[in-house]
Amino acid sequence: MSKILAITGAGAMSQAMRQINPDVVPAFPITPSTQVVEDFSQFVADGLVDTEFITVESEHSAMSACIGASIAGGRVMTATSSAGMALMWEMLYVASSMRQPVVLTLINRAMSAPINIHADHSDSMGARDAGWIQLYSESNQEAYDNLIMAPRIAEASDVRLPIMICLDGFIISHCVQTMQMEDDDKVREFIGEFKPAYSLLDTENPVSWGALDLQDYYIEHKRAQHMAMQNAKESIKLVSEEFYQCFGRKYELFESYCLDDAERVIIAINSIAGEIKEVVDDLRNKGEKVGLLKIRSFRPFPYEEIAESLKSAKIVTVLDRSESMGAYGPLFTEIRTALFDVPDRPMVYNRMFGLGGRELFMSDIQNIFEESNRYLENGKVEKVFDYLNVRGG
Amino acid sequence: MRKFFEVRWHGRGGQGTVTGAKSLSEAVQGTGKYVAAFPEYGPERRGAPLRAFNRFADEMIRIHTPVQNPDVVIVVDPTLIGSPDLLEGITPDTIFIVNTEKSAENTKQSLSINSQKLYTVPANKISFQLFNKEIPNSALMGTFAKACGNIISIDKLLEESEQIFAKNLGSELVDRNLEAIKKGYESGEEI
Amino acid sequence: MNDKYKLKDWQELPIGGVVPEGGNSADYETGTWRTNRPLWYEENCIQCLTCWVFCPEGAILLKDGTKPNGQPRKEIKEINLFHCKGCGLCAKECPVNIKGNKIAIELVKEEI
Ligand code: SF4
Ligand code: SF4
Repeated sequence: MSKILAITGAGAMSQAMRQINPDVVPAFPITPSTQVVEDFSQFVADGLVDTEFITVESEHSAMSACIGASIAGGRVMTATSSAGMALMWEMLYVASSMRQPVVLTLINRAMSAPINIHADHSDSMGARDAGWIQLYSESNQEAYDNLIMAPRIAEASDVRLPIMICLDGFIISHCVQTMQMEDDDKVREFIGEFKPAYSLLDTENPVSWGALDLQDYYIEHKRAQHMAMQNAKESIKLVSEEFYQCFGRKYELFESYCLDDAERVIIAINSIAGEIKEVVDDLRNKGEKVGLLKIRSFRPFPYEEIAESLKSAKIVTVLDRSESMGAYGPLFTEIRTALFDVPDRPMVYNRMFGLGGRELFMSDIQNIFEESNRYLENGKVEKVFDYLNVRGG
Repeated sequence: MRKFFEVRWHGRGGQGTVTGAKSLSEAVQGTGKYVAAFPEYGPERRGAPLRAFNRFADEMIRIHTPVQNPDVVIVVDPTLIGSPDLLEGITPDTIFIVNTEKSAENTKQSLSINSQKLYTVPANKISFQLFNKEIPNSALMGTFAKACGNIISIDKLLEESEQIFAKNLGSELVDRNLEAIKKGYESGEEI
Repeated sequence: MNDKYKLKDWQELPIGGVVPEGGNSADYETGTWRTNRPLWYEENCIQCLTCWVFCPEGAILLKDGTKPNGQPRKEIKEINLFHCKGCGLCAKECPVNIKGNKIAIELVKEEI
């Protein structure tokens, strides 16, 4: 039986892992994703899952063990955050290049220094070129749903790429929210059996993994990997549609909120979308044509689809929660690229916010819409890039 | 009618304030409302003042920012009385629930509030009687049911709490916690 | 070079650089690396198979034979020059050579 319950984001992720019942989970706990691993290890201890739980000495080892177990033919999951993911760095590339559909829960938080443990996307945005599918989540429910869909998306035969499900540290990971948890059996039925591509333990069909790949082949392997990531777009759509048929919650590559006739649009990722929706509702009630485009899939990035959805937009504010020192925010550069070929493209500008967990209140979001209105009336964006809610302006 | 019903807890690190907020949300969840509960996380320092929040609504709660204009302020630690933080963003309708053995009249003065409704409850004393230590949450939840019966009735609170406590505690401790809730409900003094 | 080793297009590659077959090193010609060629003198060889054990390329091939007393044994058949890379380990380890009276296997410059 599915049930409505109040649970933290981290709790929801560990429950999804329990329902998926992966073959192997190697993990090294780090705040704030610790709770995911801690809860899951309890499920292992209580015999609620068949998982081989491997406690490793570092995140580098965690990801290495994930890759090994996946190559051996297992369905593999882990969880990490911030510095933990940074320590996995080398192995992130190995996982994707060896085309292992490892599933990672990434609780987004800031990279040090100064020391900070709060919500920020600098961890996953830094890894955007590592060849992982990246799905982002606004709420506990979305994070849970994304994780249930993750193995299917990643394991599709024309994809076979690792996937990370991202959610905001503390804001979501440690916030109790009402959500619907689906029935164990129904989830397991939805997930299905894992069929490895070339299992190392299949002695009938011996294979070699990890061979040297020089000037003669490396680039062909990368080309094929690029194609797999392109294919992931279709896989995300298909699995999301099937998820909708099964569980009734609809997900696309991105969420269009009041976008149809919206002239002023904010584009954002993760939990801040909730606050933006509230403000959009308020302003819509006053007759203002505002909307939100919330990114779900950042890799693969849906350029054409986003351009199509912004047809009526006149001005677009892109909110980034991750610095790219000396450059615009990572989401902004993608959005501007997506819009470049659009005839009559909207004005577009970038605002950096929320680094290290700094709050952005609904009143701040109202200010954004007021500012974009001013820019629209003047026909000109005064500042393409600026910070929000920072002392000293 | 405001869209959200918002609660702000003021406690000290190590007192179980965050757990209190979470338990309250889990209990209110049982009434069919949408709930949220979250702490304001800093470094976890025992004794340092900290805040935790609840939001209740009839629809999906999409916001995560700290509560700015609380409907209810719960003061978990009596030594926080007098701190100006307690009064931040309050409205004339804000209800205070304060853990103290002092009289309601006296507490009202110490808090420097005027028109706001105030409930005092000797939650530490109740907790010492039942657990021989200071865990004031359950009694405070009982007083919450008295002050905010529109959010959760005492009967519903007891019913839901029994299930919530049973997840982590043995039956003896479950019973004592339920007793603490009842005592908090009964001895909450209104002014 | 056979067709199997024609460089493939990216669409034809198995995923992730996996090599989806076993034993394919047999098809790989290491003989081109050789600047010295082993010569084996059957008449001096005591068939101890030390060279077979040490050869890193599996280039020393065996056949069934019999001991002087009639019991079955493996004997050296020939050296496979497709794989032999001329490293000289066989000659270095041969006990007949070490003893020094005779030579059972030796390396000579490749003729051009
Ligand atoms: S020279 Fe080296 S490769 Fe050739 S047969 Fe002797 S040991 Fe083997
Ligand atoms: S090591 Fe020398 S004696 Fe022994 S089998 Fe080889 S060639 Fe013959």
